[in-house]
Amino acid sequence: MSPALSVNGLTVTLGRHQAAPKVIDDLSFDVGPGEILGMVGESGAGKSLTGQAILGLLDPPLHMAGGRIEVAGERIDGLSETAMRSWRGRRIGAVFQDPMTSLNPLLTIGRQLTETIRTHLPMNAASARERAIRLLSEVGVPAPEERMGAYPHMLSGGMRQRVVLALAFACDPMLVIADEPTTALDVSIQAQIVGLLRRMCRERGASVMLITHDMGVIAECADRVAVLYGGRLAEIGPADTLLREPAHPYTQGLMASIPDMRRRVDMLPQIPGSMPRVGGAPSGCAFHPRCSRATARCRAERPDLVGHGSCLAACWMPGDPSGFRPEATHAG
Amino acid sequence: MVFMLIRAGQTAGVLLAAALVSFLLFRFVGDPVNNIVGQGASVEERAATREALGLNDPAIVQFSRFVGRAVQGEFGVSYRFSQPVADLIGQRLPATAELTLAAMLVALGLGVPLGMWTAIKPRGVLTQTLLTLSLIGVALPTFLIGIVLILVFSVWLGWLPAFGRGAVTNLGWWTTGLLTTSGLRALILPALTLGLFQMTLIMRMVRSEMLEILRSDHIRFSRARGLRRPALIYRHAFRNALTPLVTIVGLQFGNVFAFSIVVETVFQWPGLGLLVIQAIQFADVPLLAAYLLLVALTFALINLAVDLVNAVIDPRIRQEAL
Amino acid sequence: MSGANAPVASVWWRSDLARSLATSPVALISALLACGLTIAALGADVLAPVNVFDPRQANIADARLPPGATGLFGDSYPLGTDPQGRDMLSAMLYGLRTSLLVGLSAVFVAAAIGVALGLICGYFGGLLDAVVMRVADVFLSFPPILIALLIDGVARTVLDRADHARIALPVVVIAIAASYWVQYARTVRTLTMIERKKDYVLAARVTGVGAGRILFTHILPNTLSPVLVIATVNLALAILTEATLSFLGVGIPPTQPSLGSLIRIGNEFLFSGDWWIAIFPGALLFVYALTVNLFGDWLRQALNPRLDR
Repeated sequence: MSPALSVNGLTVTLGRHQAAPKVIDDLSFDVGPGEILGMVGESGAGKSLTGQAILGLLDPPLHMAGGRIEVAGERIDGLSETAMRSWRGRRIGAVFQDPMTSLNPLLTIGRQLTETIRTHLPMNAASARERAIRLLSEVGVPAPEERMGAYPHMLSGGMRQRVVLALAFACDPMLVIADEPTTALDVSIQAQIVGLLRRMCRERGASVMLITHDMGVIAECADRVAVLYGGRLAEIGPADTLLREPAHPYTQGLMASIPDMRRRVDMLPQIPGSMPRVGGAPSGCAFHPRCSRATARCRAERPDLVGHGSCLAACWMPGDPSGFRPEATHAG
Repeated sequence: MVFMLIRAGQTAGVLLAAALVSFLLFRFVGDPVNNIVGQGASVEERAATREALGLNDPAIVQFSRFVGRAVQGEFGVSYRFSQPVADLIGQRLPATAELTLAAMLVALGLGVPLGMWTAIKPRGVLTQTLLTLSLIGVALPTFLIGIVLILVFSVWLGWLPAFGRGAVTNLGWWTTGLLTTSGLRALILPALTLGLFQMTLIMRMVRSEMLEILRSDHIRFSRARGLRRPALIYRHAFRNALTPLVTIVGLQFGNVFAFSIVVETVFQWPGLGLLVIQAIQFADVPLLAAYLLLVALTFALINLAVDLVNAVIDPRIRQEAL
Repeated sequence: MSGANAPVASVWWRSDLARSLATSPVALISALLACGLTIAALGADVLAPVNVFDPRQANIADARLPPGATGLFGDSYPLGTDPQGRDMLSAMLYGLRTSLLVGLSAVFVAAAIGVALGLICGYFGGLLDAVVMRVADVFLSFPPILIALLIDGVARTVLDRADHARIALPVVVIAIAASYWVQYARTVRTLTMIERKKDYVLAARVTGVGAGRILFTHILPNTLSPVLVIATVNLALAILTEATLSFLGVGIPPTQPSLGSLIRIGNEFLFSGDWWIAIFPGALLFVYALTVNLFGDWLRQALNPRLDR
């Protein structure tokens, strides 16, 4: 069975010209059927852009300069806008960061659900409405029939994100791209939404690409984890292994300084320095200026992904955490 | 509910302020006695007239009386036309109303689609041309547009009339030029002149609103839901652009009203504007005072209409309002 | 405008502003044209072939001659003549001078009133602020042309005809200024409220510097560049408003030709085919307003990129 999502050599540039700086550079990964892939990294690492590229929603000047994107074995990159429309919402669902702004404030949530359903599925108004009500009750919206006539501003943030989830799963997609689905929510609500996402995915057999910078969320629900750094894959592997024994010094930096998995995002550790700006990538390994283990080789040659246990890591000397001590200070 | 009460209170306040200015104008600018009995009247005659007009009463009593009469549509007799002001305004109002509405129709009918087009195709040739033209158009005063249109379409080409309303039909309480060919032909140039500037404004406004909304999260999310382009543009983007559009159009109505004075002068359109220009030139105070109140009332009604329409469009405003 | 410009010019007429002007052809051409026309208008006495105020220099036999015509006595009229036999070119130069004079004065008066009120309201706040801002709201909700018409109408009622003709110019200036002061007041008020909270103002207040001194030496300079931008755009608007009022016959009396009253005269002869009497002054008005506008647009972007939508 082919993977739900297969990304191969994805390259996104800022501008269309030959020398345009690369925002995502030769990125490859798979998401298996029914699998939740967590995608982590600092802001600017290219996580969200990867999601947008898959949905075909890159806005100019961003441009997909190379690579292949397949969903369930069918190539979807380079499709026309019209052809892409039958993928979005139908076979690829999406959840965005802020439920306050994701919904159209002037239309009832019932209308937004039924319009999505009827755009993709051959249904009459009544059965679309029935399906919408069922979806709402599935995502845990109380009194779903009454809520159909509610406008977004009448619902709390958590409720709205549930509605957004219902919209993402409305047409039984095989893949859901969830871009920071919990970031804008209260801590107490975050766990509920993560749990709901996992349940929906399991019950419906959908795969999820979960973009977040919250390692807690990853630990809670991801099957596999991909760590992005500077638009490239730093490390990828099964969640339990990768979280327990990170091989890449960057992942180690992310992990070592999290006191509690359930703490909020703004507790991310301060790995010394900052990620290179777009187009300003250093020679060799992009992480070397911030890496305490960097050698002459790291500065000169770019490492490819190599196997390290059950993970793949782009590092010349993966696995050995000795000599790498992230600073104890925390951001925020 | 509270919101509605506050708005109603504000409206009443504005109307009362306008009534006060209007009253001060009426009562203290120029001497009403002089205007009635003439310069050569004797002291006794003057005193009698003063008493008869109630000018010796306290100011507050006079003001209440003024407001009371205004509510009944009594504004006295025009100095210049020697006719009741209310009658004069009644005769002239239909011409101005038809001109204003036709101009708004032109402005909306062209401005909204062109604004949408320039937002949806920001790099198109038509977009660039329209934006350049509207930038240039800001420097074109309305009366000059009218003159150029008259020169081209009336003087040189001889296609359309440049003066008056054409043949009008009297419906008893309203005279309309919309039912005859000559009336409609006469309406074209003035309506275009009055509507053109508003059109460029509305076009730019629709464009910037649409551009902003098309960038917004919920439109991105709607695209991610795979909605078709027409649904995206009309049901989602345009609907969201409507609230600010309605507000601006309401505000612009005031401008159209003001510039109808100019257009009526250029085209000798027998409406209120022409009447007011004469009132100003001849210091016809009762007429001016009545016009001022009429303008304030129109503005208040338009603001009310804007609030109501926006409440229909936007559930958040509706919730606030009820 | 040029008066307000001069003292602060050395502060922010930095080289990058000049360079930005040099690299924007539209702005540069607009600036040059606007300056050229301004000089031509101010120098009308010297530059105009004929003094239009001198009835002896007009020849009624040469009335309404088309552009390029030669008069009865061999005078050449490059842009034709008006119904009184006056040279159009000269009439237009004098007309532009009047329009410019009214426009500049109106902008100056509006800016002076607006800036003063804005500073006071922003600095002291309180009841005065509330009252002024409500009045500003009322002014803002009425179209400028209507306010100007009303003020002119009141002036005509209060004064008798001869008096009114004598002071028609200041009346028009005040009428126009009354409809444009709000923008200055609001902008300056906001800036003052921001500036007032800054440390250096607090420090000055603590050391006992008087409010007037703080307003003039510290806060006022910080508000000048937005005021200048508003003033430039307003100049075009003020000139267009003056032209409109004069065209309606309620602005400058016909004895003092402005572009608007020239167009008004021309309008009456449109159907006789004498298009140049209206169209030439109209074109001049349009070009002048356009160049000032384009220059203002550039200035706004150059001085404060954030203001650009």
